[in-house]
Amino acid sequence: MRRVVLALGGTIAGLVMLLSFRTHMGSTAVAGVTGSGGTATSGGTSAGTGSPAGSAAGAAAAAAAPVSAGSGTGTAVTGSVINTPYGPTQVQVTLSAAKIVKVTVLQHTNDGVNSQMIDGRALPLLNNETLTAQSAKINAVSGASYTSAGYIKSLQSALDRARG
Amino acid sequence: MTAAGRPGSPVPRAGVTGVSVTTPHVTTTGAASPAAIGLGRPAMRLHHAEHVMGTVFSFDIPVAAGPVLPEVVSWLHWVDATFSTYRAGSDVSRFGRGELTLAQCAPELAEVIGACAVIRDLSDGYFTDWPAGRFDPSGFVKGWAIERAAIMLNAAGFTGHSVNGAGDVQCTGEPEPGQPWRIGIAHPLRPATLAAVVAGRDVAVATSGTAERGAHIINPRTGRPATELASVTVVGRRITMADACATAAFAMGPAAREWVEHLDGYEALGIAPDGSAWLTSGFSAYAPPD
Repeated sequence: MRRVVLALGGTIAGLVMLLSFRTHMGSTAVAGVTGSGGTATSGGTSAGTGSPAGSAAGAAAAAAAPVSAGSGTGTAVTGSVINTPYGPTQVQVTLSAAKIVKVTVLQHTNDGVNSQMIDGRALPLLNNETLTAQSAKINAVSGASYTSAGYIKSLQSALDRARG
Repeated sequence: MTAAGRPGSPVPRAGVTGVSVTTPHVTTTGAASPAAIGLGRPAMRLHHAEHVMGTVFSFDIPVAAGPVLPEVVSWLHWVDATFSTYRAGSDVSRFGRGELTLAQCAPELAEVIGACAVIRDLSDGYFTDWPAGRFDPSGFVKGWAIERAAIMLNAAGFTGHSVNGAGDVQCTGEPEPGQPWRIGIAHPLRPATLAAVVAGRDVAVATSGTAERGAHIINPRTGRPATELASVTVVGRRITMADACATAAFAMGPAAREWVEHLDGYEALGIAPDGSAWLTSGFSAYAPPD
């Protein structure tokens, strides 16, 4: 009944990942990955370093074919290694009955503050809310302001594309 | 606070002449959710993403509101032309250089300056339209423009719309009958994930953080970029207020929790660089129904 489309892609410029769920009814839920345009901790900059919008546009449909492996609790889909501002990162998404039940960051560099930030402590709200948002029904995404060039990598952009 | 602009004047000003305005390329999709199906026909929605003001505004509006959209988009381009600090000929740039008096500028500039002063005082100086010693009301203008775009849609007789300007969202009414808007809050430290989801009908959600553009918000007390929080999200009814308060809260750092706690009608979620998080006491009012 349900079709799951999962596309993982990495580009030199950054990262676009689009997880698109379309049920037979046509309702859509989406989660995306944003590669961000700036560093999280360095001071003094006011300008974004957003990548050219065009270069990332095709990334969602390109790049490495996901590797799937079944397990007792769902199907794990592992993306290719992608470059983020926090270092090379690999994301594993576990699906069960066409819903995301787990998102795991598998790989990152161990040097630098930024990479540690996505590794260590989970946000208390995170896991349950991740399930809620990605399994269905968000209408919009709020996040740190993106530039016109950075929009293509934003969660809102993934949402707009899925509905467009 | 009277920052919302003039609901009775949704018409773009004459100053829009000469500004390149692109007619929106609109797409429609049937939001065929179970609720809509239960009504026998899907609620048709119109989605549009407009590049303007150095970012993108994403609209989610009823299809019937489509004819109003070009007017709204045109007004946003007028705001860009008038308030941009990147355009040497904008009223804001010329005013900042002393080439124009306030009376010679678009009257909206006086409105914006007045509202900035209110929020500056409310935030004990953490919000300012003079960051780094230069006149720059950009921290206010985007939220104000989002809210005025929503007001223009209201004035045309439509509810059930959301306007997302660069990650700051004003939602009005319901996306479909009986359903609240659901807004995901991007996790500042974990690409791929949301930190939380909030829901509401007339609800605004604004987030300030370093994830997209680096440490770009200056703490006016120190003159240095604020880095004590990874992001702060402010939720309330109006995006003008929520956006400016999110900017001020981000500059404040952890002290923002207590500050927002005392702001009537607004709640906050703060996420620190180590991943720890806090909520103000009334935040649960925005918890999704399921």
